[in-house]
Amino acid sequence: MESECPTETKKGKSKTPKKAKESILKQKSPAEFFAENKNIAGFDNPGKCLYTTVRELVENALDSAEAISELPVIEITIEEIVKSKFNSMIGLVDRERVDEELYDDYETAKAREKRLAKEARAQEIQAKNAALGKKVKEHAVSKSSKGRGEASFYRDNGRGMPHDDIPNMFGRVLSGTKYGLKQTRGKFGLGAKMALIWSKMSTGLPIEISSSMRGQNYLSFCRLDIDIHRNIPHIHLHEKRDNKDKWRGAEIQVVIEGNWTTYRSKILHYMRQMAVITPYAQFLFKFVSDAPDKNVTIKFARRTDVMPPVPVETKHHPSSVDILLIKRLIAETSKQNLMQFLQHEFVNIGKPLAERLIGEMGPEFSPKTAVKSLTDQQIVRIHQLFRQAKFDDPSGDCLSPAGEYNLRLGIIKELHPDMVATYSGSAQVFEGHPFIVEAGVSVGGKDVKQGLNIFRFANRIPLLFEQGGDVVTRTALKRISWNNYKINQTQDKIGVFVSIVSTKIPFKGTGKEYIGDDISEIASAVKSAIQQCCIQLKSKIVKKMQAREQQERKRNLSKYIPDATNAVYDVLKEMAKSHASKKKRYEEGDADILRKVSDHLITKETLYEKLTQHVEKVDYEMALEYATQTGVREEPREDIYLESLDDKGNFFDFHSPIFVFRLFL
Amino acid sequence: MADKKRRRADSDSDSASQPFKNLLKSDAQILKILKSVTSSSSSSTSKPLTLADLALSATCREVSDLSLSSVQSTIEALVLQLTHQILSGQGFSFTVPSRSSSNQLYVPELDRIVLKDKSTVRPFSHISSVRKTTITAKILSLVHQLCLKNIHVTKRDLFYTDVKLFQDQVQSDAVLDDVSCILGCTRSSLNVIAAEKGVVVGRLIFSDNGDMIDCTKMGMGGKAIPPNIDRVGDMQSDALFILLVEKDAAYIRLAEDRFYNRFPCIIVTAKGQPDVATRLFLKKMKMELKLPVLALVDSDPYGLKILSVYGCGSKNMSYDSANLTTPDIKWLGIRPSDLDKYKIPEQCRLPMTEQDIKTGKDLLEEDFVKKNPGWVEELNLMVKTKQKAEIQALSSFGFQYLSEVYLPLKLQQQDWL
Repeated sequence: MESECPTETKKGKSKTPKKAKESILKQKSPAEFFAENKNIAGFDNPGKCLYTTVRELVENALDSAEAISELPVIEITIEEIVKSKFNSMIGLVDRERVDEELYDDYETAKAREKRLAKEARAQEIQAKNAALGKKVKEHAVSKSSKGRGEASFYRDNGRGMPHDDIPNMFGRVLSGTKYGLKQTRGKFGLGAKMALIWSKMSTGLPIEISSSMRGQNYLSFCRLDIDIHRNIPHIHLHEKRDNKDKWRGAEIQVVIEGNWTTYRSKILHYMRQMAVITPYAQFLFKFVSDAPDKNVTIKFARRTDVMPPVPVETKHHPSSVDILLIKRLIAETSKQNLMQFLQHEFVNIGKPLAERLIGEMGPEFSPKTAVKSLTDQQIVRIHQLFRQAKFDDPSGDCLSPAGEYNLRLGIIKELHPDMVATYSGSAQVFEGHPFIVEAGVSVGGKDVKQGLNIFRFANRIPLLFEQGGDVVTRTALKRISWNNYKINQTQDKIGVFVSIVSTKIPFKGTGKEYIGDDISEIASAVKSAIQQCCIQLKSKIVKKMQAREQQERKRNLSKYIPDATNAVYDVLKEMAKSHASKKKRYEEGDADILRKVSDHLITKETLYEKLTQHVEKVDYEMALEYATQTGVREEPREDIYLESLDDKGNFFDFHSPIFVFRLFL
Repeated sequence: MADKKRRRADSDSDSASQPFKNLLKSDAQILKILKSVTSSSSSSTSKPLTLADLALSATCREVSDLSLSSVQSTIEALVLQLTHQILSGQGFSFTVPSRSSSNQLYVPELDRIVLKDKSTVRPFSHISSVRKTTITAKILSLVHQLCLKNIHVTKRDLFYTDVKLFQDQVQSDAVLDDVSCILGCTRSSLNVIAAEKGVVVGRLIFSDNGDMIDCTKMGMGGKAIPPNIDRVGDMQSDALFILLVEKDAAYIRLAEDRFYNRFPCIIVTAKGQPDVATRLFLKKMKMELKLPVLALVDSDPYGLKILSVYGCGSKNMSYDSANLTTPDIKWLGIRPSDLDKYKIPEQCRLPMTEQDIKTGKDLLEEDFVKKNPGWVEELNLMVKTKQKAEIQALSSFGFQYLSEVYLPLKLQQQDWL
């Protein structure tokens, strides 16, 4: 099954040009293209497919909940479907193998017999057999009150999912409506559609969608798959159902082939990192299989109800556009003349600047030039000028960073570190696109390994793959001298969190899994953000070390008492000997000491005691001094968040002057 | 083209493969030149200046050789003082002369680095100094034992008496220097010696602990310089100069070629940074034999640094610079200007690293370099060309070029700074 896809891709590629030569031009639908090149969208193998499906759906759900400023509540359920169950789902009779040698897994036939005998262990072996399906059940539910909750999967959807649009939203690749410029989560905008293509390719089972919008008294239910060749949805069932319990949100059920065993840790990492960067969301992750001991249920609780603002759509910055984009903007604009076009379709071009720009373009341009009549040469001239002219940097107002508060809470919530520091940089610009770098550095914590643990986020989604080339990894490993901040790079448990948001993240590679290290603007912003965190941590660490020194001073001093007294006493003993044998004369006070040494009135123990007393005295004095200097310090207070209860109103409040007693019914 | 060159080289016999050989006069003539130099230099030597002569003894600190018994009684007085402090319940502390670089002073009149009078208190009852204080007490008691038994031990021996306390030898060595400063005596007076490092070969006869040593009959390797200088005496020599060599390789070349028989001289090396014994030995030779000292070091900042340690002393042991430094060492080679003068080929020159250039520039700021305009000029040239070369670069003209052409020519031209 796994090997089938690549060969198919190769065939497709080699055939197309050949055919084009000898016969008529053949068109390929977008859905076909992505079906053949699914690795571009992160569907490389069954394991990665499962992972990508989960993340696309989760990110869509977050986007849609945030679009209507609702706190996200997301449930993810992955259910393992063994072969026999799958067969019954598609109505295929589970046939016994007759010709055993026909099968690729002939060697395991014996094992298979055993498996039949022991049903409990069945899935493990069957998982290796080709026909294995997995079910991702996705709830994006906003159950909290007021009945205005709505969440769906579709990235550009803030309005909800109108009943009639559902088929096209899922069943047609590249059918988005968004043409503006905006910070978005999704990587390709394929999201659920790619999952649908993959389910079609691997299991052939349709996708099921239930959705309910605000103001709808019904529930939209839709079962569909996709006609890959024609790139149109193929609807099995599309109906309005009763929505008795006034549920709002969306639910998607898709059956795909996957591999839980190999991508388990990736998926869990993804969920954990997602919980770090979105502490205002509640995630419930479940893995259900026939073997109860393998089941996983993790709840990532909500820690705050402060959401970052919704990213605003912005216009293009003149220095970031290319010729094609200018043409597209011209085609779409409602403005008539060049003057208005420049002023309204770009940021940072005011009237005076627009006039100057037009003057600079040459004699054939005038403010009144009809924008739709511009020739190709003229457009190239405009593009050249945009590249060369100086414009103000775009502002970061259109971006929606996670915010220091949320990043900090997320880190505390998921890692429970001993210390944490966060920093949010100001907006900077790379190739006309604004970006903001935020960083957090934590020391210590639960489930953190020694050394550097790097968490990367781009537009508030975690990046898990291709860590090696990433700007964050390289900066943290090579350009931060942790020692300067009293952090031990190999011994301490260091968490480094860097979140970059931008209208266009300059990803490297096809998988969009990392940001290159060659962009000096981003590299230096990342470095300075991490350094700012380290500076904050350093003062904390130094204080801690001082406190520890206070505690351990007595022990550290006392440790050396025996060596010191021995050294002094050894000399005294020799001196006493020569004094006794009258080899040398000493002054009265000194002679007195030596006599006492000879008479064992002053012994090693005497010196030891005296030194110990002294150390205790010094320790007491210094502790007193330390206490008066530092005073009784209060740790900075931190807001705690108490999750609000479902206020359905079925309780009584008993009011007293000092407290309220609430009784739930 | 290459053929032509070779033919011309052949016709010039071996002067092309060993350039400048034709400039060499006969050995007898060179010897005559050398003799005139030696006699003039030895007659001009006067009694060396001391700190007292310059009225600096109040602000600068210097140690002197103390007899074993006076070292012992100084330690005992100190220990009694400590005991008083402990018994009175005040803990104890040492007052240690600071050996940091801010406490160093270059005195041009003396042409060496001396220690100023700043001291630091090292109390037992402070977390940052408890360790060093304990080690100091331990070293004091060990040296006291050495005084009682009248034996010598090495620094390594000392370290191994309590590895757990000292942790590594650097720490016990550093405290040993501190103890010298506290007691006001040289390190040799403490009866602690370093392992043998330096070697000497050539026209020198001296007694080592009663045995007469003839350094012309010590084979190729020469005689190891004895670590305790107080047992060395009765130096005799018919040498015309002392040749100080930075590196073992050049030393072996000269020893094997019996360079000292062609031009009567004494050849010394400490194989890199000089140890105390070699410095003391060189000083003793210079004082007793009154010979000029010529240095052959690499043409890089470190070569000059090593030269300066022989000449002006190291910062680490500036408290004893009076005994350790040999005044008036001449820089014979290889000097940066020699690279072009002797046409050392490009492939034998190395580019200086960032660190090298920095060290070179730092050296230019040092007073002991500034006092010699010739050195400043050479060093400026080195920093400007950013090239360095080892003594071995001369081997590109043949392994024996050093002993057969380069050195004789240098001597003939009296080309030293």
